[in-house]
Parts: sequence; structure tokens; C-alpha cells
Amino acid sequence: MASIPAHEGFDAHHDHAHEHDHKPAFFQRWFMSTNHKDIGTLYLIFAIIAGIIGGGVSGIMRAELAHPGIQYLGWWTHFLGGNDQDFNATLHLWNVLITAHGLIMVFFMVMPALIGGFGNWFVPLMIGAPDMAFPRMNNISFWLTVSGFCSLMISAFMPGGTGMGAGTGWTVYAPLSTSGSVGPAVDFAIFSLHLAGAGSILGAINFITTIFNMRAPGMTLHKMPLFVWSMLVTAFLLLLSLPVLAAAITMLLTDRNFGTTFFNPAGGGDPVLYQHLFWFFGHPEVYIMILPGFGIISQIISTFSKKPVFGYLGMAYAMVAIGAVGFIVWAHHMYTTGLDVNTKMYFTAATMVIAVPTGIKIFSWIATMWGGSLEFKSPLVWAIGFIFLFTVGGVTGVVLANGGIDDNLQDTYYVVAHFHYVLSLGAVTSLFAGFYYWFPKMSGRMHSELLSHLHFWVFFIGVNLIFFPMHFLGVQGMPRRYPDYAPAFEYWNTIASYGYTVMAASMVIFFINIAYSLVAGKKAAGNYWGEGATTLEWTLSSPPPFHQFETLPVIEDAHAH
Amino acid sequence: MSLSHVARAVTGAIRTVSLAAALAFAPQAMAAVAAPAPAAPVAAAPVAAEPAPAVSSAPAAAAAAAPVDKGSYTPMKPTEGKGQPVAKGVTFQDQYSPIGEEALAMHDYLLMPVITVISLFVLFLLLFVMVRFRRGANPVASKTSHNTTIEIIWTVVPVLILVVIAVPSIRLLAHQYAPAPKGALTVKATGYQWYWGYTYPDNGGFEVISNILPDAEALKRGEQPQLAVDNRMVVPAGEPIRLQTTGSDVIHAFAVPSLWFKLDAVPGKINEKVLFIKEPGVYYGQCSELCGARHGYMPIVVEALPRAKFEEWVKTQGGTVGAPATATAAAAPAKTTPAA
Amino acid sequence: MALVLDAGNRRNRKVAAMATFGALAMLGLGFASVPLYRMFCQATGFGGTTMRATEAQAAAIKQSARPITIRFDGNVTKGLPWEFRPEQVTQDGHIGERKMAFFIAKNTSNRPIVGRAIFNVTPEQTGAYFHKIQCFCFNEQRLEPGEQVRMPVIYYVDPEILNDPNAKDVTEITLSYTFMEAADGGTGSTTSAPKN
Repeated sequence: MASIPAHEGFDAHHDHAHEHDHKPAFFQRWFMSTNHKDIGTLYLIFAIIAGIIGGGVSGIMRAELAHPGIQYLGWWTHFLGGNDQDFNATLHLWNVLITAHGLIMVFFMVMPALIGGFGNWFVPLMIGAPDMAFPRMNNISFWLTVSGFCSLMISAFMPGGTGMGAGTGWTVYAPLSTSGSVGPAVDFAIFSLHLAGAGSILGAINFITTIFNMRAPGMTLHKMPLFVWSMLVTAFLLLLSLPVLAAAITMLLTDRNFGTTFFNPAGGGDPVLYQHLFWFFGHPEVYIMILPGFGIISQIISTFSKKPVFGYLGMAYAMVAIGAVGFIVWAHHMYTTGLDVNTKMYFTAATMVIAVPTGIKIFSWIATMWGGSLEFKSPLVWAIGFIFLFTVGGVTGVVLANGGIDDNLQDTYYVVAHFHYVLSLGAVTSLFAGFYYWFPKMSGRMHSELLSHLHFWVFFIGVNLIFFPMHFLGVQGMPRRYPDYAPAFEYWNTIASYGYTVMAASMVIFFINIAYSLVAGKKAAGNYWGEGATTLEWTLSSPPPFHQFETLPVIEDAHAH
Repeated sequence: MSLSHVARAVTGAIRTVSLAAALAFAPQAMAAVAAPAPAAPVAAAPVAAEPAPAVSSAPAAAAAAAPVDKGSYTPMKPTEGKGQPVAKGVTFQDQYSPIGEEALAMHDYLLMPVITVISLFVLFLLLFVMVRFRRGANPVASKTSHNTTIEIIWTVVPVLILVVIAVPSIRLLAHQYAPAPKGALTVKATGYQWYWGYTYPDNGGFEVISNILPDAEALKRGEQPQLAVDNRMVVPAGEPIRLQTTGSDVIHAFAVPSLWFKLDAVPGKINEKVLFIKEPGVYYGQCSELCGARHGYMPIVVEALPRAKFEEWVKTQGGTVGAPATATAAAAPAKTTPAA
Repeated sequence: MALVLDAGNRRNRKVAAMATFGALAMLGLGFASVPLYRMFCQATGFGGTTMRATEAQAAAIKQSARPITIRFDGNVTKGLPWEFRPEQVTQDGHIGERKMAFFIAKNTSNRPIVGRAIFNVTPEQTGAYFHKIQCFCFNEQRLEPGEQVRMPVIYYVDPEILNDPNAKDVTEITLSYTFMEAADGGTGSTTSAPKN
């Protein structure tokens, strides 16, 4: 099934070899697209829309948490068609919000943007391929992701037990997600994960095939740009971890609807097994979200230092190591579930090992800049911001890795701070870095460097204001997933909520910047970053032709990285 | 909302009555066994403490007929800044258990310095290269892309740092898992949607039902809103307690930050850990595993008392003190009873 | 050119097939984890899973001089209208000694209910050494409306525990049962416990 589109895609390309930039009609082009760049664009637009919704949800959450008491949840319950006279339904909305925020940001913002967006756009360009291996399957992946998002949105308006929507947390732990949530909301949420997961698995197969088979002559694996390496490792993580999630949530569905007892003790199941399965997927998942960011940062640092990446092989294999070790550390998310002492000691030790390849990456980035001739264009500023923020998120990970320390921090705001430093401040910062790096390449229009720098500084201040105080809340013992809290927690919560408004302002700058560049931006040259930008996408025009590399480029020695 | 409280109260009352009935029948059970176990002492009748509606101001006293000595108990006033979060706090809560002290020391004197130094070191390197290797200062980039020595250093040094962290970390885990000594008081915390129940099997098996107090009532009692409960989990200070957790419906987690204690309450499974509270006091915690709508509304309050006062409290709950609740059955005769 | 593309196409198909196989294998592993996890727990005592011993195995066990106390705990999950509690809170014995304990269950509803007892021991690391020879938890239990039963469990603690550095210092083991309503409403394997 998968190979036919490739064949046709190639034929079509062959037939039109002389019509240089032939593009299909609008509907054909954007709804039945088989062009990797168009699909990448669709993914990016989708991710931005999902990001606005997911970010808006966190805005409601931060507003509610600004002060003790329940202020806005009742109004929102009413607004969304729920019963605001029922306090449980109001509180249930809170759980729906945290669930939606988590699922949207993970599955419908970060993953589509990094993998579907930048991956689709630049993996073929960087390895000198005309398109992805299976262009039609690529299209299916995208629309599966969109359908998944629709299913998640629908779930918000379905009964979910104590209120409307799925209030299980993004982890969907049994038995809260089975016997604890009556109604179709959770089924729709689970189905949404099925769709998004299927889309991602197909995408992973596509990337693996493309990277293994469609590299231009001379582009050996060890000459591939690090972004392509990061996508290759990410694709393997997706391929091996998502099916486990698919199995786990399928069993949840049948437990909910068909009376099976996979996770129901009454029939011999074990709810803790669900957690093992979820985190066997969930831990690689966090690397799925950050590895493409690593790749982007490597490209950017190298470009603006005008130097090849320091320790290329170490960088590539550090990512492979992170991916591999990521599969054997999952139970550090489950330290308080009643693990025995040996299990906990093992997962403590194994988890700390991850710090080593991560450290290699951080130091190699700095070493790349060392001796370079740094030009502080906006992507480099974002990339340096990434390195620092990711370091801060990483070191709190070392704290949390200690099973004995985690006993106090598990499920507190310290954990929330930690994973937002690596994801919201890490992965998202790398997203913006990549966006400013490649936006003119994709659109053909230059953005405003001034606005991009401004966006960085406002964003940097905003997210640090939101998330740094959460460490304090965490060590003071504030549990996560709480709509209300003791007065002692008010001070830092209020500051975090102020931080949100700063961060939101930076998003306004971002959208103004996009609008400006599309309306009034200068036309972008093929290689607008100059001599440091050496990967193959810079040999093409901006935007690249609809069909590129009609004659495959040949990679000379010492060209690739 | 109040309806559910009434329903719970009724269920509790029914349970009390029917358990007493069950006990009355118990001695007749199973004549086939050579030496039937003596019935549990009369006073051991499990008294389900009345699940007081959240507005009740007095802690629910056991309603059932109790022995002559009814004991005495006045809820302890919390000490400001002790066992609870403090406004603008940026550090861990003060610790009142040996494990907490050990873990806190490890965090404050090992982990925090290490992660601070690493973060500042990375920040310093970034600032240094930004200044030293900016285009203005260094117009021609070097082409260096390998240096085996430095690569080995930044692999080996982190490994050494992690080993230094791992040693006390593993030791801390070993201490946390040291088993409770024989005779340690056992308390079972059961998570319900959305309140806690504390059962004292060694003291007659009564269960204390613990509901959140409304904010106004909490303030009136000098406690922080969202953290106060009507009936606390009362335990003796200065001795190891075998704390067991289980869930009745979904997974909850029993957590008290100032005692460095967190343990999931999983339905169908019992978990166990040793809790040692060094001194009397009131220690606050909250449910720490998402358990549904009122996840944020089932706080935990542990009140540690000197042993004698704890025993007085047990009596107010209709529980027994001292007399071994153990009903040692005679050695099982081999092969008499078909179990199933 | 077409020939080259066809070759590329075949190679693509092969890589994609291998990747698909990998994904399907992981999917299978996900489903297989349910029985595998159960077997793993039963084999290693992970999570405080107790062992099941035959009469022959039990007969070969020698009693040691080391005392050990077993605590008993009974729970019912929400929605099951049963009362369930151990008849004795603790039982003193020795490692390797065969003992019998009783639990009492009563159906307080007006319908017959099939219950299933699930169990574990704490501390978790003692699961591998806690052997049951007979137990009401081996079968589902059916109680008629208002019926009360007294149910035995026969067990011993394997002296091997003394060789495990993580478990040898344990002085009290808690055996906990939770009754749940059998998910399928009861199967043919149901047997009634002795009645009173």
C-alpha cells in the first residue's frame, strides 16, 4: 500500500520535468497534497492553531490560579454548556483543561510542528531528495492528526463523568479513566490519541525510509546534517514507543466499553501495569519532543558560528544514546506507586545516566561557538536561550531522578517546572529558533529581525516568570492539577500568572512579525544567512521550487556538516 | 453536595451497625477447625467514625457505646510555619522525620550546589563565548571541530559527578525502605473520592473519616484554608509507624511534604512505608494523584502526639489501647480445611 | 531512469515493511505485556505478589527458629455491598511454619454476589517468600443475600527469606485482600466457602 504513492509521485514528477514549477490547483494542492513542503506548511499552520488553543487553555488556568478560590471556572463551565450550579462539574472542567492543555501541546502542537512541519520541510531538502519516500502516506499522516484533534475537541462537549469532557490528565491513568469516568468523553479523547498516534507512526515509517533510501549520492549517514540525524532517531522512537501506547489505550477502550479487565483488578488486571505501559511510551515521547529541537539548535549554532559542529559523531551518537536509554528509565515517573527498593535503585541509576549524553550535547554546542565568529541573528539568540533554559530544566531532572528525593517532589509543581523548562522553554524555544531560521526559506519573505529579537526577550522574561517560581511552589509542597490552593501558595502563583501575560504579549509580537513579513517582508535570497549556512536547503531558491533536486546533487567530501 | 454527605453518613451508620452484627455472629463460625480463634475483644468493634458534614465544628466523637474511659482529646493548634507551606517560601518545608532530614540535607548540601554550579558554569561559558567570539572580536572563525581530550573530559567528569550523587541517593533509598520494627503501630490510610479514611487495626480497627473543612471554618480554627480537615489522622510522635495506603475507587496518593512522605493509594493493593515523626505537631499534606473532580479538596492532616495523649485520643474514638489486638490462632492443623 | 526509480521503489517498500513489522511487533508486545507482567509478578513476587505452593512443596519446608508476625488486612472496593475483615489482626509464628488464618465476609445486599479477592503483601520484597497453600482467593466466592462466611487461608513464609538482604530484617508481613465484584459476574469456577 505504501509504495504506490511513491511510484506515482515520481512519475508525476517525471512527466512534468520541464514545467519547472507546476503547482496543482488550490483544493488539489492543499487538501490532497503529496508535496512534502506543502504538507510541512500545513503541519506548521495546524500546529500554530493548536498552539493558540492549547495556550489559550493555559491562559484560563493561569487566570484561575492567580489567586486562591474559584474565580472563573464557573463562568467557563456555563460558557461551554456545562452545569455551573454543580460544583463538581465546575471542578471537573479544571481537569478537562489540564488534560486538554497537555494533550494539545504534546500531540497537536510540538510534535506536528517539529516533526510534521520542520521534519517534512527540511529532511528531504537536507539529504538532497526530491520528496518524502511515500508522499501520499504523508498526506494521510497529516489528516489523521487533524482528525485526532477534532476528536479531542468533540470530547470536550461530551459527558465525562462528573462533568463535560475528559478529565483524566494526559496520562489517562486507570481506573480514573475507566470506572472513574463514565460517558463518551474519555472514549473520544482516547480515539484522538489513536488517530494522532497512527498518523505519527506512518510519518515515522516515511522518515525512516526517506532517510535510509533517498539520500543524494555521496550523502553517507555520517555526512547527514544533525537535524536529519535527530529526525532519524525521533522516527525510531516514535515507531517503537507509539504502538505500546496504542496497545495500552486500546485496552483502556475495551475495559471501558466491552467489559475486558486488562487494568481492572476485579478480572485479574492491574492498574499499575497501565502506568508501566504509558510511561514506556511516555518517556521516549519526551525525547521525541526534544530531539528534533537538538537537531535544529545544532544547525543554527553551526551556521552563525561559521564553523562545522564540534564533535559531529559524538553529537549524532549522543542522540542515539539518549533515544536508547530513554526506553529503560520509564518507572522514574512511578516512584511513589509502591515499587520495591531494588527497582527504585535501578531506575534512579539508569535515569541519571541520561545526563551524560545530554551534557555532551550542551558542551559540544558551546565548543562549536568557541573559536567561531558569532553573528547574533535572531535564530542564534533563540538557540543560546535554548541552551541555557534546557540546562536549567535538565539539572532539575537530575534532582528528580533520585528516587528518595522524588518522594517529596513527585506530582508537585517542581515537576511542572521541570518539564516546562525542558519542553515549554526547551522544545518551544527550539521551535521559534527553527522558525526564524527557516521562515524566509519557506515563505520567500524575510521577517523583521528587530521584532524577532524583541519576541525573544519578551518571551524569555515571560516564561521564566511563569515557570521559575513553580520550583518554589513545588518544594513548598503544592501539588499539581489543583484548581485552588492554600493562601501560602498565593505569592508565587500570582507572579506566574503575571508572567503568563508577558509571554502572551510575546506571542502578539510573533504574529505581528509573521504578518509583517508576509505583507511587507523583503524577498529572501537563496542563502540569506551567508557563508555559515552550508546544508543543501541553502543551495535552493527561497522558497524552493515546487519540485526540487530534479538532478540529484552530489555531495563532495567535507560538505555535509 | 450536602446530599452526598448525608448519604455517606447514612452508609457509615449502616456499616457500624452491620459490622457489630457481623461480630456477634463471628464466634459461631466454622466449628470444623480444631482450635477456633477466639473472637476479637468486644471493645474492638470497629466504629466507623461518623463522617461529619464538613460544617461540623467538633471532631466527630464515636457515637457507639464505648468503655468507661472515654479518653480526652482537643485538636492541637498548628504552629505557624511548621508542617505547612509558608507564604513566599522558596525552600523545602522544615523536615520532622529522620528520612526527611537526610533527604533535605542531600538536596541542600549536594544536589542544589551541584545543579547551581553547573547552571552557572554553562551560563558563564555562554556569556564568555558570546563576548569573546562575537564577530567584531573574532572576524575569522576557526575550523576546529574535534578535540578528543576535551570530549573525554566532558564525558568522564559528568559521570564522576553522577557517581558522587548516586552514592548518597542509593543510601537514602535503602534507609527509606528499612522495614518497620516489630510492634510498630500500624495505620491504614484509605483514599476515597474525595476524602480519606484512617484505620487503626492495632487499636480495635476503628476508621476515622476525614473531610475537608470549608475555608471559613478552617480560618476560625487558625488553620490555612484548603488544608484543614474535620478529623485528623492522629499518631504517636517519636516512634516508627507502619503507614499503609490503599484506594477504594481510583488511585490517590497520601503525601505530607514536611515528613518527606508520599505513597500512592492504589485500589486492590496495599502499599507500606515507615513514617517516623520526631516531635508532636500538626503536619499538613494533600492528595497527590489526580483522582477526579475534587482531587484538590481532600487534604491530609497528621497530628502527632506524645504516646500517652495519643492513647487518650484512641479512647475517644472507641478504640482499645495496650491490650493486644492480636488474636493468635493456634497453629493451623495440617490438611483439615478445604479452603475452597 | 524509470528502472532506477523502480529499484528505489522496491527498496523503499522493503524498508517500510521492516519498519511496519517493528511497529506491529511493539504493538503485539504492548498487548502481550498483560499476561507477561502477570507471569513476571507471579515468578518474582514483584509488587508484593504472593506465591502459590503445593502440598508437596509445603511439606518440604523446614521451620526455622526465627519468629515472624503476619498482619491481616481486608478491604472491599466501592460499590461492593460486602463486609470483609480478618478475624485476627495479627498472627505470630515462625519462618517456615505453616499457619492458618480466617477472614469473615458478609453479603449485606439482597442479591447474590460473586466476589473476587485480590491480594498482595507488604513490604513488597517479601512477596517471593510468602507462600499460600490454600486460599479463598484462589476462587471466586459467591455469597447469597445476607450470607456470612468464614474463609481460611493457609500459608507459610519460605526460610529462603533469610538469605535475601532486602527482606531478611522484616519482622511483620502484612497480607492484604481486597474484595471486588467479579468483573464478569462470576464464572463456573466459583465455589462456596464453608458456611456458618
